[in-house]
Amino acid sequence: MLDQILVFLRALLDQTGAIHFSFGNLVMIVVGAVMIYLAIAKHYEPLLLIGIGFSCIVANVPGPPDVPGGSAISALLYVVKDGGLFHYAYMGVEKLIIPPLIFLGVGAMTNFGPMIANPRLVILGAGAHLGIFVALILAKLFGFTLSEAGAIGLIGGADGPMAIFVAVKLAPHLLGPISVAAYSYMALMPMIQPPIMKMLTTKAERNIGMAELRQVTKLEKIAFPLVIAIIVNLFFPPVAPLITMLMLGNLLKEVGVTDRLAKTAAGGLMNIIIIILTVAIGSTMAADKFLTFQTVEIVVLGLIAFLFGTASGVVTAKIMNLFLKTKINPLIGSAGIASVPIAARVSHLVAFRENPKNLLIYHAMGPNLAGVFGTAISGGILLALLGAN
Amino acid sequence: MTAIVPDTMQGALIVSVIDFFLSFLIISGIGFVLSLFPLLNRAARLIASCRSAPAPVDVKPARGDNPDQVILEDIAALTAAVFVVMNGAAHRIINIEPSQRRASWVAEGRIAQHGSHAPRS
Repeated sequence: MLDQILVFLRALLDQTGAIHFSFGNLVMIVVGAVMIYLAIAKHYEPLLLIGIGFSCIVANVPGPPDVPGGSAISALLYVVKDGGLFHYAYMGVEKLIIPPLIFLGVGAMTNFGPMIANPRLVILGAGAHLGIFVALILAKLFGFTLSEAGAIGLIGGADGPMAIFVAVKLAPHLLGPISVAAYSYMALMPMIQPPIMKMLTTKAERNIGMAELRQVTKLEKIAFPLVIAIIVNLFFPPVAPLITMLMLGNLLKEVGVTDRLAKTAAGGLMNIIIIILTVAIGSTMAADKFLTFQTVEIVVLGLIAFLFGTASGVVTAKIMNLFLKTKINPLIGSAGIASVPIAARVSHLVAFRENPKNLLIYHAMGPNLAGVFGTAISGGILLALLGAN
Repeated sequence: MTAIVPDTMQGALIVSVIDFFLSFLIISGIGFVLSLFPLLNRAARLIASCRSAPAPVDVKPARGDNPDQVILEDIAALTAAVFVVMNGAAHRIINIEPSQRRASWVAEGRIAQHGSHAPRS
């Protein structure tokens, strides 16, 4: 009788995932919890980290084995595999539906005025991307293929949707660690960037004030998305789906007669996409796939890419100062890394802490927005050169 | 497919150098295009000034002792009235001429004007 009860209980236990719980699952649950903590306590990208952290935790709660006697997979991944919301959320990322829609929303909420007002600073959008190539070369040195190295390098572009877009094209099997590294480092930029910015600048340089920018007219703001969409579609077809949507979103915002559409793209639609994206990314963080030495390498390379990107942006601004009559504050150089508007905010805050009268946010937004195009151009060239590898 | 770049360390270096410098070049091009944007404003101002330039008015001299003075005052008043009626929209006044008492639209205008402030019982 007792034996029979034990057999029943054992059979019942086998139906759950409890006996398949591993140390790796525990580690990843802690990682997910830390993400949620950072979002709530430190306000580091809460819109992203809450969803990623939550689905990371759920993805690491093992469910019953997929087949009798097989290895356990989490209930979340079980759902991903068999269809339903999580399945289509992941498909949205894998089939490159989500990234262009994110760009549509970003375009609808972005004012490109600072970039149009000071075209000289656009150079910083390219200067702050040295990190991409340092990470690419190091990734090759670590033994990754060139396509994988390109996808890993683009973490340094600090542009989540673009990193996902290129990863899906060049190294889809690395999508999980690459997207997690990209979004995590973007959230941690207020901690990563300031020490490097201070190390590479003098107090006098950090105190450089910048003259007020000229007013940008509505005509210029309407012409901007049209001109950029033509240039990108003409010269960078590999990344045209993203930039075209970015420009469409911006056009909806600037024309002034499609407020409803602009509000939807920047509001409701964007929020839905964020929820789907974060769930999809978090669901790729199952311990057996994520806790590998390769992931550790990618995370380290991502950090190196961010460090070098920040440094090269500041150095580029300092080099520009050698030739400019009116000096620019080199702190805005690091904003060229992209990650709108976090990097611009970091530039502003570092200058503000040095001198509360020095307000750089509007100036830093120029290179920050140019950084989006810098990442897109780098990504487009990588796709063109490595897409056939 | 044929690989454009060899999957070697040398390939990684070549890709990096090409990409980094091309990015600089292309983004400089975008900067150059943006630096031309103020020309758009100038062009728009030019077009606007052409539209709002004083419209040629074919003025027929009015009968009176001092026809020039009367016509200038009329033009000012009529131009202001038309501007208000058009609610600031772009327009051109092609022709101003004395009204003919017998014309039906003139009679209609007079009746409407007189009727607008008639005492009501």
